[in-house]
Amino acid sequence: MTVSKFGRRGFVAGGLAMAGAAKLAAPALAQGQTRLNFYYPVAVGGPITKLIDTMCADFERENPSIKVQPIYTGSYQDTIAKTLTALKSNDFPHFAILLSTDMFTLIDEDVIVPFDDSDQAWIKSFYPAFMENSQAEGKTWGIPFQRSTIVQYWNKELFKEAGLNPDVPPKTWADQIEIAQKLTKRDASGNTSQWGMQIPSSGFPYWLFQALTTQNDVRLMNPEGTRTFFDDPKVVEALQYWMDLSMKHKVHPTGIVEWGTTPRDFFERKVAIMWTTTGNLTNVRTNAKFDFGVGMMPFGRRGGSPTGGGNFYVFKKANAAERAAATAFAKFVTQPERAAQWGIDTGYVAVTPAAFETQRMKDYVAGFPAAAVARDQLPLAWAELSTHDNQRVTKALNDGLQAGLTGAKSAQVAMAEAQREAQRLLRPFQR
Amino acid sequence: MSDALAPRGLGRALETFGAWALAIFWVAPLLYCVWTAFHPPEYATKFVLWAPLSVENFVKAWNAAPFARYFLNTFALVTMVLAGQLVLVTLAAYAFARFEFIGRDIAFALVLVQLMIMPDVLLVENYLIMAQLGLVDTILGIGLPYFASAFGIFLLRQTFKGLPKELDDAARVEGAGVLVTLWRVYVPLARPTYIAFGLVSVSYHWNNFLWPLIVTNSVETRPLTVGLRVFTAIEQGVDWSVITAATLMSCGPLLIAFLLFQRQFIQSFMRAGIR
Repeated sequence: MTVSKFGRRGFVAGGLAMAGAAKLAAPALAQGQTRLNFYYPVAVGGPITKLIDTMCADFERENPSIKVQPIYTGSYQDTIAKTLTALKSNDFPHFAILLSTDMFTLIDEDVIVPFDDSDQAWIKSFYPAFMENSQAEGKTWGIPFQRSTIVQYWNKELFKEAGLNPDVPPKTWADQIEIAQKLTKRDASGNTSQWGMQIPSSGFPYWLFQALTTQNDVRLMNPEGTRTFFDDPKVVEALQYWMDLSMKHKVHPTGIVEWGTTPRDFFERKVAIMWTTTGNLTNVRTNAKFDFGVGMMPFGRRGGSPTGGGNFYVFKKANAAERAAATAFAKFVTQPERAAQWGIDTGYVAVTPAAFETQRMKDYVAGFPAAAVARDQLPLAWAELSTHDNQRVTKALNDGLQAGLTGAKSAQVAMAEAQREAQRLLRPFQR
Repeated sequence: MSDALAPRGLGRALETFGAWALAIFWVAPLLYCVWTAFHPPEYATKFVLWAPLSVENFVKAWNAAPFARYFLNTFALVTMVLAGQLVLVTLAAYAFARFEFIGRDIAFALVLVQLMIMPDVLLVENYLIMAQLGLVDTILGIGLPYFASAFGIFLLRQTFKGLPKELDDAARVEGAGVLVTLWRVYVPLARPTYIAFGLVSVSYHWNNFLWPLIVTNSVETRPLTVGLRVFTAIEQGVDWSVITAATLMSCGPLLIAFLLFQRQFIQSFMRAGIR
């Protein structure tokens, strides 16, 4: 993201933010330079590192007293491992982007501090769906940055071949089965050459599953992150629907569907409809050699999807000046113009409604309407599964889901067992 | 003269079959890797015998990350670690094998205890020490915790103990000092053990991922394994062609070295008693 791309409007907005940031960064100025280590979860060399480098350089230009050193730390999992290790030493990050769902873990580890909420206008400027995973105990612990949600992508050519209207994706759960049946092709010996749809289930099946539960109008956890509802009848029903897609209706590949290769299956026309993150938009746009559509998720009892992705966190080890400087940086990059440009460059959902009101974003959406789908779905979106002891609770659910999808257990049993395990893990937090 | 223990008839057929089956099982991922790396992405999951060959994947992979630098780092790392290990391990093993001193057995037991501990458990402690020494984000910082290899000390002590004491005595009679005896007698005779240990050490550090990731921050210090992570930005889906090309590039030097020195390696392993 270069300065020239921002034009005049960017500078004006930046100037206004500076007025606020200058006040916050005042102690830093008194001490001379403030140096910040910023852990960012991406591998070195990817296209995103260039954007982040530019962002840091722009920030330093407007805040000469602050130096931001971005450190690229691989995947989210690698990043949290590195962060928690480094925080125990004298060479540590002052702030970082980590999964929004790690909030409770980070609070329990006592390594993060809440954001200064004197600037309520800023805190309230984000989409409420993103803030669900960012606030707890009445405080704001995370600031949304690279956030995503799940949408459906469909191959318009295959829709046409099957005699379907290429501009209308499945709108309801019932619709979805019917349309997927028309899109599933089998050869004479009964082998499937083209599947109607696929929902990835490797790695983090709970996230995709949460789209189904959200659509079935049931939450997986309470906002305090101390209770889960995996054995709720509506949760079981959602899993049963997913299992039925492959086992009963035979429109979805059986067993575990790989997350990483699902886009490729889509490009190779092995599947007509896929569910995946909005973060894949740029990838699909570059690699799909056919006309494709991006749409809101179908409705069960309601519509919607979980949110996903990463938040800014500021660490307790940073001193007052460093915390203020890190907050100033988070403010700087979430201003509407910058948030809009970040969304356009990466495919992540711009985090504030104001970003969608910028001319830059309006022009982009006009040329590429798919970019607005995530925005339109956000009012229906719910927080991603996040609890205390999050990694293990999530694993309990993942194991249950995979047991169901591979046919090892019935939906009922799989979810009851997952709930029992989650309940056991969460008991210490249910004071 | 036929070996009485060599399997015959059905037994032999089964054994041959088993060996082939295991070999094919083992080499299959590598074959897939080579296939995918040398063909355009369309053929990543399709097998067409006459599919066009291409090196484009390698070009893409090479340009996606500063691989030359990563190679240099990895090379510097494994060389440094191995050099450090050889010196420390030789001296320690010699002391444990041939000298009587108070607390020797306890000290050796402590070294053996180290073998039982997974290095990953020590991540945090190691990081703390590296931070105190100011070695975070240096190649020395990646290697230092591995210099005193318990495995190496154990292995070499056993080898040294197995050498005839008479050779040692003969050297002494000729007027050789302690270190000269070590250098002229023990080290040359333990060559197979050194080769076997060197191979284990180099391949371990060539492949090590978690510790280098945690202790390094910049391109200037990161080894290949950490660099490879560029291609696993899982959010965007996986491009198998480029990943396999990058993987081949990363493990290529090791593979080639192994193929060239295969015979020596296997003999060393047999003699050193590592299986």
